[in-house]
Amino acid sequence: MNLEKVVFAFVIILACTLNFGFFIGDMDEPLHHDPTELFLAIVVNLVATVLKFGDRTQLGATHLATSLVATAQLVAASGVWLWHVYLRGQPMDGAAMSVIVSIAGGALLANLVSVVLLIGETLRQGR
Amino acid sequence: MILRRLRMPLIILILVYAVSVFGLAFMPGTLPDGTPARLGFFHAFYVVTYTATTIGFGEVPYPFTDAQRLWLTFTIYISVIGWAYTLASVFTLVNDVAFRGAVARSLFAWRVRGIVDPFVIICGYGQSGATLARALDRIGLRLVIVELRRERAAQIAIEDYRTPPLVLAADARLPDVLADAGIQKPECEGLIALTGDDSANQAIAIGGRTLAEELKVVARVKARVAQANLEAFGGMHVINPFETFATNMALGLDAPESLQLEEWLTASPGTPLPRKVEIPRGLWVLVGYGRFGQAISRVLDNAGIAWKAIDPLVSLEDLEDPEHLLGGDNTEVALREAGIAEAEVLVAGTDVDAINLGVTTLARRVNPDIFVVIRENQSADRVLIEAARARLRFVQSDLMVHECLQILKTPMLGRFVWRVRVEGRDFARQVIERVTDAVGSGAPRAWRFQCDVMQPGMFTAFFQKPGEPLQVRHLLANPVDPSSRLAAVALMCERRQESILLPPDDLPLKPGDQLLFVGREAARLLQQRYLTDPHSVEFALTGAEPPRSWVLRRLAERHRRRVAARAGDE
Repeated sequence: MNLEKVVFAFVIILACTLNFGFFIGDMDEPLHHDPTELFLAIVVNLVATVLKFGDRTQLGATHLATSLVATAQLVAASGVWLWHVYLRGQPMDGAAMSVIVSIAGGALLANLVSVVLLIGETLRQGR
Repeated sequence: MILRRLRMPLIILILVYAVSVFGLAFMPGTLPDGTPARLGFFHAFYVVTYTATTIGFGEVPYPFTDAQRLWLTFTIYISVIGWAYTLASVFTLVNDVAFRGAVARSLFAWRVRGIVDPFVIICGYGQSGATLARALDRIGLRLVIVELRRERAAQIAIEDYRTPPLVLAADARLPDVLADAGIQKPECEGLIALTGDDSANQAIAIGGRTLAEELKVVARVKARVAQANLEAFGGMHVINPFETFATNMALGLDAPESLQLEEWLTASPGTPLPRKVEIPRGLWVLVGYGRFGQAISRVLDNAGIAWKAIDPLVSLEDLEDPEHLLGGDNTEVALREAGIAEAEVLVAGTDVDAINLGVTTLARRVNPDIFVVIRENQSADRVLIEAARARLRFVQSDLMVHECLQILKTPMLGRFVWRVRVEGRDFARQVIERVTDAVGSGAPRAWRFQCDVMQPGMFTAFFQKPGEPLQVRHLLANPVDPSSRLAAVALMCERRQESILLPPDDLPLKPGDQLLFVGREAARLLQQRYLTDPHSVEFALTGAEPPRSWVLRRLAERHRRRVAARAGDE
């Protein structure tokens, strides 16, 4: 067992699960989507991105790309939140929340691809 | 590579921020009116951002509670440590030798990719490399220099060049170094291997040949084995400076005029015609029997000339040749023993300049009229060597520059010089007379004129045929005034397989012919007009200024047709 591999897989899967946890629930119901979970998803996605730096293989490049996409989308989602609540000064409503959740849904897809790549890589090595 | 090494600091920084922001967002706080309110992620991130970077705006948006202050204190400590660690990692990386090498390498490769002018790659920046680099710089070629020694490579930056060369401190034996140096670029005109190590030069030359099959590759080797190896590989110019000098000397023994012509034509323009050196055929005394002495002794053996060699080192291994070899130091006793009193030629060919100079002085004391051939090893000793006033000087860097310039700039001149050697001394004398008559006694510049029908001037001459067919004399006529001649001489005309030496004035030219001219630079510039300017060609071929506008050209044509018709009637 290689500790580095454990950490790598842990971070990638955690990024995906946190993202999923934020995404799940009624789309336009603010109570179902916790800002803390979004915050944690962003942090873990950032860590996952940094962990994927410096791998020059084709697979490594795809890995990095998925993480970049997920991070970008999650940051965009938090940007919408910021815009709505702090800059426009409105309470969170269903319309804004559904935008945020749909963007986070895109990030979830990227994170799923990342997990699929991780599993595929593991299966291919066969040991 | 950079990112991989910064992985750890970046992750730590992210975690530090995450913990700080998270904690601060949830620490219990109050609004000014006392109602409990948390800071929220946005404000927490804002506060941590200015706190972690030690800017410190104070407590925004409302004064903090004690719990928030406690957390912020903790935040300040961990964030300062996190930043310090990250910055320290970045600076370590920037100062890392391997990292700086990698950056310098990619910067170099990037710059080389941007070169749009013709350039030459020189591997090895020793004496010959430096002399050659300056000569090539003067004639306007860009230079890419690969040098193994870091200090030597760094020195190039402070030397005086018209266009600063691109320099990489790396091992040119590695093919990817050559690739980064732009060997596969179409602008690359040649690769010259001049390192101090024969096997490195071999490796560079073979690597270059393999990477770029059409490229001119020049390699300097000093051992005969290496020379034979490379010649067997084929397709490159191998220069053994000792052998080249010895060959030139053999030529000087047989046909001094040929040597004189060769030196003159390959010297830098304006050099006066060298004196004809008649090398005596009496006894030769060689001081120093290393590679240089041995190369000369082979020439002497071939020419049937008696020689003696003194070398303190050969006494041990080569005693079986007592007829020629003497062990001994460079004292007067040893020189006398070798027969310096009766000798006609002294070759001071050790690899120490001071010894060469000393031997020359000693020999002259015994035999004041002796013909001295001296070897210069360090260009710093040039003054010393010049003080010896030898009749022939072997300067490796000068010889390399000569040979390389010939190969790179006018390969046709090289072929001509080769033909001169075959033709013999009378032909050489004839060429010297012709060139000095037309051009004067300063060394002329050599250039190639190609009858390339893609050039507008040559297209007119060969396909529109305005007057007489193009002959050599038309190219030697002044385009401004066809009755006067340019200060130039046609030395050779190459077409397909044949080459015509000293082509006569009335030799008709064919498309694709290549002519070798020597002459003044001004003549070359005027002659270029025959390539670019159809009017100059018409003027030269018809002797009349051609009409330039379309209407006048039509009128002239009608007139010509009418004259022809009238001539037909009569």
